[in-house]
Amino acid sequence: MGRISLENVTKTFGTVEVIPPLNLTIEDGEFAVFVGPSGCGKSTLLRLIAGLEETTSGRILIDDQDMTEVPPSKRGLAMVFQSYALYPHMTVRKNIAFPMRMAGIDEAEQEKRINAAAAALNLTDYLERKPGQLSGGQRQRVAIGRAIVRDPSAFLFDEPLSNLDAALRVGMRIEISEMHNRMATTMIYVTHDQVEAMTMADKIVVLQAGVIEQVGSPLDLYHRPRNKFVAGFIGSPTMNFITGEEATKRGADTIGIRPEHTEVSTTEGMWKGTVGVAEHLGSDTFIHVHDTGLAETFTVRISGDIAVRHGDTVYLTPQPDQIHKFGADGLRIE
Amino acid sequence: MSKRTLPRLLQTPAVLLLLVWMLVPLGMTLYFSFIRYVLNSLRRPEWTTPSLSNWRGFGNYEFVLKSKDFILAIQNSLLIVCSILFLTVILGVLIAVLINRAFPGRGFVRVLLISPFFVMPAVNAVLWINMILDPVLGLQGIAVGGINDLVDGLRNAPLIGWFFSLWPELEPISFRATQTSALAVIIMVTWQWTPFAILIFMTSLQSEDQQQKEAAVLDGASAWSQFRFLTLPHLGRPIAIVVMIQAIFHLSLYAEIEIVSRGNGNKNLPYLIGEFANNNIGAASATGIFAVILANIVAIFLLRMIGKTLME
Ligand SMILES: Nc1ncnc2c1ncn2[C@@H]1O[C@H](COP(=O)(O)OP(=O)(O)OP(=O)(O)O)[C@@H](O)[C@H]1O
Ligand SMILES: [Mg+2]
Repeated sequence: MGRISLENVTKTFGTVEVIPPLNLTIEDGEFAVFVGPSGCGKSTLLRLIAGLEETTSGRILIDDQDMTEVPPSKRGLAMVFQSYALYPHMTVRKNIAFPMRMAGIDEAEQEKRINAAAAALNLTDYLERKPGQLSGGQRQRVAIGRAIVRDPSAFLFDEPLSNLDAALRVGMRIEISEMHNRMATTMIYVTHDQVEAMTMADKIVVLQAGVIEQVGSPLDLYHRPRNKFVAGFIGSPTMNFITGEEATKRGADTIGIRPEHTEVSTTEGMWKGTVGVAEHLGSDTFIHVHDTGLAETFTVRISGDIAVRHGDTVYLTPQPDQIHKFGADGLRIE
Repeated sequence: MSKRTLPRLLQTPAVLLLLVWMLVPLGMTLYFSFIRYVLNSLRRPEWTTPSLSNWRGFGNYEFVLKSKDFILAIQNSLLIVCSILFLTVILGVLIAVLINRAFPGRGFVRVLLISPFFVMPAVNAVLWINMILDPVLGLQGIAVGGINDLVDGLRNAPLIGWFFSLWPELEPISFRATQTSALAVIIMVTWQWTPFAILIFMTSLQSEDQQQKEAAVLDGASAWSQFRFLTLPHLGRPIAIVVMIQAIFHLSLYAEIEIVSRGNGNKNLPYLIGEFANNNIGAASATGIFAVILANIVAIFLLRMIGKTLME
């Protein structure tokens, strides 16, 4: 079990209110991802749930039990830190055993769980090494192993993959997703990498300055962003925003068009522009188009290749049913 | 000239200087320890100049080994060094951990804590033995007198008087006495050197990883477990440094011993060397060689012990 609810939780550091009153429920077994720009309070929120920070006001419930005043070790949560936070003087085995040792679990059971975790995480050959003798990915797995053996009701991850290189990150991302599918335990995962958010989450929580901008499934957020912030934050490359005549024509203050929802032609189309930079990725091409009279640059993404170069003239046509409309208050207009 | 020769050549002066620096005193000590060499002798004036013709073999060593104070000096050297190390490391770790937390006036407290280290050893000894440990005029005498007066007064009190009349009269301890003078030296040097340990441990504590601590908190580690399994291993290396440096310094304590009791009941090897050196340079040199051997044994032993217990 691991249903986590926050009720009117606030957090102030000194006089700075980092989290204004916030309500959120994460269902049992859900994979929730907190995303948002740097400094928006993702880590703070996670630490509040873990109990490493005290709430200024409000309640934190785990399985409908008030945990606001309960010390971190009694909340039944396990956390994986960005810096791994392994104990440098202990071997991998002792690192993984540490929470069980503190809980007074008997040796035989400890041994069993360590071996199971090591097997699941490919750590069996490294059990007698110290953290200093491991690679970044292996250290990350030890940190996860240390969390698993506690059999927690929920896992908390604070940007666990941001110290890894790109290839390893993809691998670990899949491993964590598989782990979630296998264990079906609640997981809360903080990241500012939106690919991680989109691919791993059941539910994404988009934060800005401590305020929840939108909660929803990845595709929900992609197709129906509640406001301009979420629309700009989710999706890569980011959405093109157009104000002025083109927007008012459609009854909106601003319209947003995703790069992948724009057709490109060298002969005809709705808007004309010149190619600035064309990024050929092979599978996709990103074209940054200037001089459209709509926005500084208009980015389009087409699958496959197109023979355009810097300075060429192109015509852009948005898919009419994929235009997002936003009012003057930034909110979505249906 | 090969590639290696030039750097070697350039290093030579420094290496030579260091060798001379080390080897000449050691060589002279060794040489003097094997000959008869005294500063003053009416009977045998030829012994007053060092010369190979006064060769004595291991005679000086035998003389030192048989002298009545030698065993006492070895015992005391070890007792004093080990006690001071034990006390300073424990006090240093405790105080460093205590003042590592933020509290109002922390900067001021830190300066106060470090200040004993800047007192000259001789001044330190004079202050302690006369102003604090003196059984009559020092703080000790005043405190013991005060407690005795208080208990005396309570003896006549109703109801609880019988309880206090069972108490004995407290006697102040004379720290210049044969049995206690080593204790006085241990106390005053511990007071002076604990700040050194605090300083080193404090620096090391600041570099302790806070996320490790938080991870340990989540893992259910109590404050004691965090200290035992994270902080102490983290302090392993600084403790080794403090122990090594202090061992070197305290094996050669002199001023404190001289001031507390003039060696009465409390001699260490350097003090013994000093006594021999009043006249018998040969015996003093032999004692010096013993001191070198003792220092090496202590160093090896300490390093092993620290390595074993802390690094797990
Ligand atoms: N101990 C603290 N004291 C004062 N302010 C703090 C403290 N911890 C965090 N803050 C502030 O709270 C805000 C949110 O910080 P937080 O670490 O939660 O951001 P974040 O969303 O995790 O950012 P990032 O993606 O860079 O990790 C920041 O503005 C930060 O300066
Ligand atoms: Mg953060």
